[in-house]
Amino acid sequence: MKILLIEDEQPLRESIIAYFTGEGNICETAVDFKSAIDKIAVYNYDCILLDLTLPGGDGLEILRRLKKMNKNDGVLIISARHSLEDKLDGLNLGADDYLIKPFHLSELKARVMAIVRRKSYSGSNVIVFNEISIDTLAMKVEVAAHAVALTKKEYDLLVYFIANRGKVISKNALAEHLWGDEIDLVDHFDFIYTHIKNLRKKLMEAGCPDYVKSMYGVGYKFESQ
Amino acid sequence: MKLLVKYNRVTIIASIIILVFTGVIYYAVIHFILTDRLDKDLVLEEEEIVAYVKTFGKLPLAGNFKDQKVVYRLMKPGDSLERGFFNTAYLNESENKHEPGRTFVTSLNVNGVPYGITITKSRVQAEDLVRMILMITLGVTVMLLITLMLINRFLLGKLWRPFYTVLKQMKDFNLADKDEVVAEDTNIDEFRELNLAVIAMSARVKQDYKELKNFTDNASHEMLTPLAVINSKLDTLIQTETFTNVQGEVIEDIYLAVSRLSRLNQSLLLLAKLENNMIAADQEPINLKELIEQKLRQFQELMQIQGVVLSQKLEDKELSMNRYLADILINNLFSNAIRHNYDGGEIAVHLNNQELSVSNTGNPEKLSDQAFERFYKNAASEGMGLGLAISYQICAQYGFKLAYDFKDGKHIFLMIF
Repeated sequence: MKILLIEDEQPLRESIIAYFTGEGNICETAVDFKSAIDKIAVYNYDCILLDLTLPGGDGLEILRRLKKMNKNDGVLIISARHSLEDKLDGLNLGADDYLIKPFHLSELKARVMAIVRRKSYSGSNVIVFNEISIDTLAMKVEVAAHAVALTKKEYDLLVYFIANRGKVISKNALAEHLWGDEIDLVDHFDFIYTHIKNLRKKLMEAGCPDYVKSMYGVGYKFESQ
Repeated sequence: MKLLVKYNRVTIIASIIILVFTGVIYYAVIHFILTDRLDKDLVLEEEEIVAYVKTFGKLPLAGNFKDQKVVYRLMKPGDSLERGFFNTAYLNESENKHEPGRTFVTSLNVNGVPYGITITKSRVQAEDLVRMILMITLGVTVMLLITLMLINRFLLGKLWRPFYTVLKQMKDFNLADKDEVVAEDTNIDEFRELNLAVIAMSARVKQDYKELKNFTDNASHEMLTPLAVINSKLDTLIQTETFTNVQGEVIEDIYLAVSRLSRLNQSLLLLAKLENNMIAADQEPINLKELIEQKLRQFQELMQIQGVVLSQKLEDKELSMNRYLADILINNLFSNAIRHNYDGGEIAVHLNNQELSVSNTGNPEKLSDQAFERFYKNAASEGMGLGLAISYQICAQYGFKLAYDFKDGKHIFLMIF
């Protein structure tokens, strides 16, 4: 997976690169408008992570140029601009998704994976992780070719886990992913535990090893033994 | 009391007093002049009689002509007659009626015989004249008063209109509105100055307010990037090493604080936008019943965890709103009802054509009147105190009313369309 990160904030850039690098991913960066334009003109990317406020120009302009070049790169806007107009503008211009700062790296990764999956020429709507295969169109999960019935939340959890395989995902990120804004309500995440427990149980009953590990109380990690 | 009424009253009372006073004086003076003139005529008549007696040695014929009557009377010795003028009645024989008259009584010696002479003249013409003058004066007075009143009512009303225009705008003045104060053109210096002052003041206040808003907006925006950095660094940190559970707890607390801070930020940004009317632009018909049902499904899990019992009675209702705002509004109302509830409490949601009411059990005390103000929260609340302020603003944006009531131990939030 080849990714271009257009972001001027260095610490944020470093974190994102660190999170995305590995598993055969290539992550390039552009720190301002001009270098971003240069890169998109020459290379093709599976996904471009685009910050809107850049030194030297507006991120939306990059999006316009990209579409003018008839490029099919996936675009995920990451912006501190919380206005609905910006979001709509971005999506209307052909961005695939819009993520508002601050975000969790795991959320970013999950969204990027979803975009890449949608964009991929192989048309693959199937996520495979060892013996687990997920048909994202039908939202069906199979373990070793046997269907496993999951609830909506369990399904979301599984897709999120697999997108962030091998990474520790904070409970906070999980909660925000599953409940969105309403999580504001309960600052203790005990109820995430219930969903994870159920998912784990269903997967193990279907014959999976225990992929989900609790990490020092702060989050979970989904990985092969 | 209105200035106009007060002014009208003062001018009219003053005019009436002055006019009555001058009227009385006028009447008295004219009366005096005419009587004096009549008296002079009577004296002239006496002089003619005296001249006649001196020439012919006898009295002229007593007679009755030209509204004048002369009577002679032989005086007995010892009779004394005081010379003087009196108001008497005058018998007009041709018309056979009594008229007011002026009588002059004097005495004269004709060849050593004393005669009393009484000359009487009709006063009717003089009286008519006085009456006429009085009528005219009264007429003029009444006309003057009416004119004054009309002038006051219409001209002054018109003159003061710029004042009332600008006053009304000051009353309707709302910081968050985009409308500027528009002053009516006037050629009256005082009002022009007032208009200019009001316009300048409102512009200044709005500018200050806008700067404050922009400050909130900018500050919140600028905070988002460091927040994003903290968040991403935390995400990176937890990948790096094996932590103890104690360290894990610390990290989790930082996570929570960051997420709280970013939510606070988003709420502030939203409030600033709402107050600057930056969101309402795109409205669409919202089926409120469907939206509520969908939200209730989303909240179902949280209600189950708390063991909150939900009762709902929903009728169809469509509103024209921005979907994003409608979402936030319903979210806020429901999350409040759940958050401020106790385990095993109740929530009731009722929707009909006029109103949406969300009531919940909870703290057995009524919220204070400041519940809709920013950063209001009671001691036990874990929220930020912005939810209700945002809900209130959203309602205000669409002209709905959001009211709070506390009845039978239940907090009721009522949204009236």
